Amino acid sequence: MDFFQSIAMGFQVALQPGNLFFCFIGVLIGTLVGVLPGLGPVAAISLLLPTTFHVTPVSAIIMLAGIYYGAMYGGSTTSILVNIPGEAASVVTCLDGYQMARRGRAGPALGIAAFGSFIAGTIGVLGLMLIAPPLAEFGLKFGPPEYFSLMTLGLTILTFLASGPMWKALLMAAFGLFLGCVGMDTLMGAPRFTWDIIELSDGIGLVPVVMGLFGISEVLLNVERSMERSVFETKIRHLLPDLKDWGESIFAILRGTVIGFFLGVLPGGGAVISSFVSYAVEKKISKYPEKFGTGMIPGVAGPEAANNAATAGAFIPLLTLGIPANAVMAILLGAMMIHGMQPGPMLVKEHPDLFWGAVTSMYLGNVMLLVLNLPLIGLWVKILKVPYPILFPLILLFCLIGGYSLNNSLVEVFIMVIFGLIGYLFKKFEYEGAPLVLALVLGPMMETALRRSLLLSAGDPLIFLSRPISATLMSLSLFLLAYPLIPWFRKKRALLPKEDKED
Amino acid sequence: MPVTFGEVIKVVRMERFNNDQVSAAVWFAAGIIICLAALRYDLGDFASPGTGFMPLLAGLAIVFFSFLGLVHGTLRRKQGVGWKPSLRGLRWKKSLVVVAALFAYILLLPPLGFSLCTALFIGFLLRTVKPQKWPVVAAGSVLTSLGSYAVFELWLKAQLPKGPWGF
Repeated sequence: MDFFQSIAMGFQVALQPGNLFFCFIGVLIGTLVGVLPGLGPVAAISLLLPTTFHVTPVSAIIMLAGIYYGAMYGGSTTSILVNIPGEAASVVTCLDGYQMARRGRAGPALGIAAFGSFIAGTIGVLGLMLIAPPLAEFGLKFGPPEYFSLMTLGLTILTFLASGPMWKALLMAAFGLFLGCVGMDTLMGAPRFTWDIIELSDGIGLVPVVMGLFGISEVLLNVERSMERSVFETKIRHLLPDLKDWGESIFAILRGTVIGFFLGVLPGGGAVISSFVSYAVEKKISKYPEKFGTGMIPGVAGPEAANNAATAGAFIPLLTLGIPANAVMAILLGAMMIHGMQPGPMLVKEHPDLFWGAVTSMYLGNVMLLVLNLPLIGLWVKILKVPYPILFPLILLFCLIGGYSLNNSLVEVFIMVIFGLIGYLFKKFEYEGAPLVLALVLGPMMETALRRSLLLSAGDPLIFLSRPISATLMSLSLFLLAYPLIPWFRKKRALLPKEDKED
Repeated sequence: MPVTFGEVIKVVRMERFNNDQVSAAVWFAAGIIICLAALRYDLGDFASPGTGFMPLLAGLAIVFFSFLGLVHGTLRRKQGVGWKPSLRGLRWKKSLVVVAALFAYILLLPPLGFSLCTALFIGFLLRTVKPQKWPVVAAGSVLTSLGSYAVFELWLKAQLPKGPWGF
């Protein structure tokens, strides 16, 4: 099947009324999640995962993907109007977006954020379409050692990009790997660390862990702080940026798209890092770098484009190699497996309807977002005014119902609350949850790949260094692990933005 | 010379260590426990790794990285980085109330059923964390309970626990 036939088939799938509906619901919920501070795409996708059990896998993935890129759109609204990022990838939008709003230019700021996101999202999806199939072909050359080395690289990149000392991120990854060992040993069929609890024989579920770490812990942190927030009171008009705004923004959008897409592809990279890098680039090449932070429109356009392009890029390692690039992709991986799909090189061949349907739905989703975001900004502002003391019990209830309805089991709910407490402590002691989540998902796959590799090589660990692809990936991991030991690089790493939880 | 109670308290006071030292020590202990637990399973050998192989590796990694953390924390302590209280100035009792409510919800869900338990849970949180007026509490708890029942049980066919009265 050639490229254009595949796209045609993808549109045929994505344009089915049911799939269109789920795409719409996904981007709507995603925008809402992006708008509401304290609830990010990771928690939202986890919460809504159980609701997709009764729909087809294609519809489920279309909706869950819609939540992810929808959240990137919605996040800019709170950054611009309230100076509070709706999710981590919009932190940098606060710098100039809020200043534009204070100067009475909230409309163009919101407008350029929406248009920039649309352009970047659309180009990103095009890149995904072009790059994913050949990469999947390349992925067929991978054996257990290559997979193990690739997953090691993914984890290493994520720990490298995490904020704070690297030992903390590595500790979290190691703990995640241990949690991934709980349950049945897939090679031997023996139970491990299950303490005769039936629910644990399938392992510790990703969804309760994620909802606990990112949903419940966030509520616990928020309720102990002041729960007041004020929405910037201004009349939002002239949402369409004028020609001068476009002139100042268009190249920032294109640069942000390229930066975001390639950083999104990188396992462990993502929307947060790409938005910061884009901002830094815009500031560096601007004729007026000193004015950044006072309401410069490229400071909004570039990062917003970057974080949206990164979402498209992040799908590439998942759909082609079965490797999630970040915590959101880890949940999507779990969702696909629940629906009986195995993401990886064979996905494009075995389930072309899912692959091309999901990818083309992103085009439609981007159009829906553009249509949704501009006229509904007034509604989002009203929702922002819902007081947090009213909102947080609902967030907790969604977590509880979501945790319970996974397997109709209170054990999962209990695990979720425990991880809520653990996540709360992690945040108090400045440990990031993202490496843990990625390691929890990759853990069982890494273990299988490691043990198979050692079986293949009769116990020789040099197998990881004797095969070219594996050796390259492993060398990159070792380089990144050694990188912070060099003082100059350590200082550079300390300047990296906080990747934190959600991206 | 006998050690006074006050001196013992002073020795174990958190202020002697910084946050990284304390958390790394906890991780170190956790890593040791994981290693010991992994040894209960068949480790196999490099040519044929067994069930306990990967948990042991993970446990050893935790021990190693937490040791690095202890060293790092101690070096920072010597540079003057001390204990940073993470609860000072915060209304941490509110978090405690929320956690208690979550555990109570888990305990009461089977005997009370979803609707009543949810109404009580929402009402309790609305009234205690940042107290709302009683009409808001009553309306919020009843509407949330009914609404979530309609969405999850009736529409999405989630099988939520039912109390003695069938809802």
